[in-house]
Amino acid sequence: MSEPDALAQKLALLVTREPVNKTGARVISEGEEPAPIAAILGAIDDTVLERCLIFSCGQATVKVIAAGRRLRGIFDVSPQSDAAIIGQVLSREEPEALQAAHDLLQDICGKADRITVRSTPPEPFGQGGERGISAAGLAVLWDVVIDTGPKPPIAQFLKVNATAFSSVLHVRKGEIILTVGDSEALQSIWTTQVEAFRKAHKKTIRGEEGAQLICLSGAFDDGSAAAMALYEDDIVLVAYDAESFDNLQSSWRRIFA
Amino acid sequence: MVVDKLDALRQKHEGCTALAFADLSTKMILVTDSGSNLRREALDALCAEAALLLGAGGKPALADKPSDRASVVTTGQLRVFLRAEKEPNDVLCCICGPMMDSDAFVADAHTCLNEISGGE
Repeated sequence: MSEPDALAQKLALLVTREPVNKTGARVISEGEEPAPIAAILGAIDDTVLERCLIFSCGQATVKVIAAGRRLRGIFDVSPQSDAAIIGQVLSREEPEALQAAHDLLQDICGKADRITVRSTPPEPFGQGGERGISAAGLAVLWDVVIDTGPKPPIAQFLKVNATAFSSVLHVRKGEIILTVGDSEALQSIWTTQVEAFRKAHKKTIRGEEGAQLICLSGAFDDGSAAAMALYEDDIVLVAYDAESFDNLQSSWRRIFA
Repeated sequence: MVVDKLDALRQKHEGCTALAFADLSTKMILVTDSGSNLRREALDALCAEAALLLGAGGKPALADKPSDRASVVTTGQLRVFLRAEKEPNDVLCCICGPMMDSDAFVADAHTCLNEISGGE
């Protein structure tokens, strides 16, 4: 990768809004977005100075030693495992070891709904000259695409809450660009109600603009809730399970705050 | 006292910054918690938003029927509007900071509203 490309990637990372919780853990994957292994390689690719990266998913953790945007090896996992690859420095010369590392990561984190990473001081690992293998190289070997740029906020919101939505209608600049599920009712709302509602709502909020999520419980005859998300040129209408109210709100705040 | 119930709700939820009990039939705020310092114009706007979102007069804001609970999340604020169970014109308008356990707050706010509406 050229230096300008690497610089562009770093700048893109700086503008991402991955939340950091009180323990210093950063959410790198949620709802398998990006895919867990891609997220792990992305975190390694961000690591220049030698660090011990602790990936957590549920009750499981994986500690790896990374430096120079390379994975030197897997230092430890929890729950305890007797996998032989733990503690070995990775090398291109040992493809079976690379595959074993992939399989261990996949086994622990591959189906995680949420992965966080903490960057901690390095642990003694291997010999000084054993550099491991670059995240980019592993991505090629493991057939993974490292996500180098932030997804549009609306796309993140839809992805994170996908399981809560029974139908979705996504409109950009007045054009319907995506429908999910039975969107007939949402299309009817779009054509007959949205314009008048937005006009009336703008009056009440006296020009307050910016990202907004409006939720209306029990708005559909079948009891499901309706929501309208507004961000720049995007309008998204969804029908959702009312029990997901808190998740919708918290994910919206996290993504748009 | 209605104001005492509103004050208690606000004190329980640190992120809550203002509470207003309103009547949708007259579109008027009847009482606020004692700590809120919203100007009259802001209260009128809050009540107008409640009337729109909760579908005053039986007209739904969006979709098929008026909601009993509506919310607006912006980058800096969460506004929640609730309708009383037995008196559909009695509503509670709530302004909260963005970081809020909305499920817990809404549950307590509903209880508070129903007590006020029921004259308890």
